[in-house]
Amino acid sequence: MKKKSSVLSKIYIILCFAFFYLPIIVTVIFSFNSSKSLSKFTGFSLRWYAALIQNNEMMSAVYVSVTIAILATVFSTFLGTITAIGLSRQRKVLKNAILTMNDVPILNPDIVTAIGWMLLFSSLGFNKGYLTMLLAHIGFSTPFVITSVYPKVRSLDPNLANAAMDLGATPYQALTKVIIPMIQPGIFAGALLAFTMSFDDFVISYFVTGNGVKNISIVVYNMTKRINPTINALSAIVVLLIILVLIGMRISRKTGAGEKVRGGKLVAVIIAAALVLVMLGGRAGISGTTSKRELRVYNAGEYVDPELLTEFEEEFDCKVIYETFESNEMLYTKILAGDTYDILIPSDYMIERLIDEDYLQPVDWSLISNADAINPDVLDRDYDPGNVYSVPYFWGSVGILYDTTVVDEEDLADGWDLLMNKKYAGNLYMYDSERDSFMIALKALGYSMNTADPDEIHEAYEWLVRQGQTMDVVYAGDDVIDNMISGNKAIAVVYSGDGAYIMAENEDLEFFEPEQGTNIWCDAMVITKDCQNTDLAHEYIDFFLREDVAARNTVYIGYSTAVLSVYESMQEEDFAGISAFTPRVDYEKDEVFHNQSTAVKKMFSELWTMVKSK
Amino acid sequence: MKHFRKLSVPYFIWCIIFILIPLVLIILYAFTNGGNDVKTLNFTLDNFARIFDETYIKVFAKSLLLGVLTTAICFVMGYPLAYIISKQDDSIQDMLIMAVTIPTWINMVIRTYAWINLLSDNGIINGLLGLLGIDPVTMMYTNFSVVLGLVCNLVPFMIIPIHTSLRKMDPSLTEAAMDLGADPVQTFIRVIFKLSMPGVINGIIMVFLMAISSFVIPRLLGGGQFVLIGNLIEQQFVSVGDWNFGSAISTILAVLILIAMRLMKKMDASPMDEA
Repeated sequence: MKKKSSVLSKIYIILCFAFFYLPIIVTVIFSFNSSKSLSKFTGFSLRWYAALIQNNEMMSAVYVSVTIAILATVFSTFLGTITAIGLSRQRKVLKNAILTMNDVPILNPDIVTAIGWMLLFSSLGFNKGYLTMLLAHIGFSTPFVITSVYPKVRSLDPNLANAAMDLGATPYQALTKVIIPMIQPGIFAGALLAFTMSFDDFVISYFVTGNGVKNISIVVYNMTKRINPTINALSAIVVLLIILVLIGMRISRKTGAGEKVRGGKLVAVIIAAALVLVMLGGRAGISGTTSKRELRVYNAGEYVDPELLTEFEEEFDCKVIYETFESNEMLYTKILAGDTYDILIPSDYMIERLIDEDYLQPVDWSLISNADAINPDVLDRDYDPGNVYSVPYFWGSVGILYDTTVVDEEDLADGWDLLMNKKYAGNLYMYDSERDSFMIALKALGYSMNTADPDEIHEAYEWLVRQGQTMDVVYAGDDVIDNMISGNKAIAVVYSGDGAYIMAENEDLEFFEPEQGTNIWCDAMVITKDCQNTDLAHEYIDFFLREDVAARNTVYIGYSTAVLSVYESMQEEDFAGISAFTPRVDYEKDEVFHNQSTAVKKMFSELWTMVKSK
Repeated sequence: MKHFRKLSVPYFIWCIIFILIPLVLIILYAFTNGGNDVKTLNFTLDNFARIFDETYIKVFAKSLLLGVLTTAICFVMGYPLAYIISKQDDSIQDMLIMAVTIPTWINMVIRTYAWINLLSDNGIINGLLGLLGIDPVTMMYTNFSVVLGLVCNLVPFMIIPIHTSLRKMDPSLTEAAMDLGADPVQTFIRVIFKLSMPGVINGIIMVFLMAISSFVIPRLLGGGQFVLIGNLIEQQFVSVGDWNFGSAISTILAVLILIAMRLMKKMDASPMDEA
């Protein structure tokens, strides 16, 4: 009987662990992939491990993640444990007050906590960075420690400590020799939860950090457009390290006696190691200040060749503090909270908004020696007439990417209505963004994409609902890139730059811009009002307009560059035959997005939620 | 009895700064419509009225349903595992609990991409099925893929607290129950399960909360059409910039959850809590 049940439980353990580790095994396998795809294995290679070691951004993110997680675990375990012990003796009113407040960070969605702390740190005048991130991590980890430790404390006999003290123990001895050992499993569980929450946190970290301090999650989320197996390589190494540490602990435990002393020593060693790491990091200049000139740049994720930043720093003897965002709206939220940068690289409609709200200063074109290199097609657009504030960086259009082996050439004449062709039901990705989806519907119906007319917007809404109901659409985000490379579906709405990237990886695909007109977008470099070193800011802009720099940057990113000579030569070289690299210009039905009023924005978002939840 | 009472004071101060003040801010936003600028306050209940639109009610219902389903599966799967682990030798227990936790240290986005990889129409699982001569099964962008992703990600948060309360449970309690004539099932339900209730409740609360406010996993495995409360709130705060409405949604969510937690904790009103 006993034997049988233990065999069953072994099988159960094995099945559960197989389920937990299945995605990890896949992750590790794909770290050896020879291509960029995370879902199509093309051959064995170690290139992503090489890329990882050369990637400074990733390596410093590893450092930040690890040290923050260890420090936050230590502090929150300590704080949570003493609080839980104190609570059991506390007056009822205060106890309930603390326990209720303690639940709040657990039950609020991360984004709410994140915004709250972002506002708090800004209003207290904290310099955002490592310290604010650490405080926030302690803040959201401690409640988990308390909820783990407190039930254990509560189930203790309250007389135990008193008995110890009656027998002559000091309160401190009663605490460390009697209470703590009894609640140890709770402390262990709390510490484990704290570490886990801290190590994988993105939202809160993102909003409370600044000055270029990033953890692994921030890097990964902001690279979603260019996600590649480097991060798998990192994961594989993390898994390996953890296994080694565990084996090491097991061996040391088997050979040594006196487990408790060892446990205490282990904690001491971990804390000491973390402190040493922090100090080394400070030395290495991760958060340290230098006498060099500094430039704070805020750009979209994976939107610059990192080697070029290093070269810029060397040539101009300065330090670039580089941060990334996932969307224009993220950028706006951070600016609104009072975070300051010197250079921003947002898109057209956001630039219009920043100009309107007086966040930018005019560009001094006399300092831009390479101004003539800019493609005249991308200058003097509606969002910033005469380019008073902005210098174009990359540009493109929105179009349809399709699988030539599945989609009939003649169906393309339908333009955007191809997305309504029942032949392809269940076989297409829309882009999960209300602005882009409404743009498609409005253009398909022959309206302007910048309309504020409620009737036209409603008609577009109905178009999208009809599409949602008849076409079995999947609304994808940046995962569309990896999905299309793997050939999971035949049609997708994509930005031309992403289209070019996908086409380079999957030869069956072709790109076209419907004749009903589309969105022509432009990302440009702008200088903020707060800019503390305008000379350096202009030098940065000028640097990225240089022919050789723009060429390398274009090869790295894959978007259509604003530097004309490079744009033309690339069509013959690296991007020969890739139609998505050359977006349409000067077509009367194409438009640029304008900044929307809050009322229209609210209407779009409400209707979009309705479209998706039908 | 008053010894150690002061130990909870530092955290009380911490709570006021890091929890109470931001909370007051959010509630302030929820009841006003001055936009993101706190200076132009304008009291209103409109933000709450908007939530009672059919669309948002649907979003709430779907999130709650998904949360309940995920929590239930995590419980059914996690409890036996936590129980089995708690029966092992002490050092093996630590190892197994670590092994349960380690997968969550790999970035969530990366793990979710791995699931896409396994589940998509021409993915690994369908490839294996194809070798057996079985037609491909559509798994991506369904309730199945979303729940699977959530369970895999959240089950450790069910196992750890349950294991904590099962561990070091005095074995003489079970023996005593048996000696007094209880059969194994009775012993389990009346003694073991009852004593593990604090852990069970902690686990349920954590998993449920994380499930309903998650947005990365539903978006990647369910597609954008999987609108849940987490997405909705994020959208209001970031892409629409309507902090007032976002705050109102999260206030309602918080109140709903607080009520649910109170009910759950009542079930656990243990006699030892008399302080």
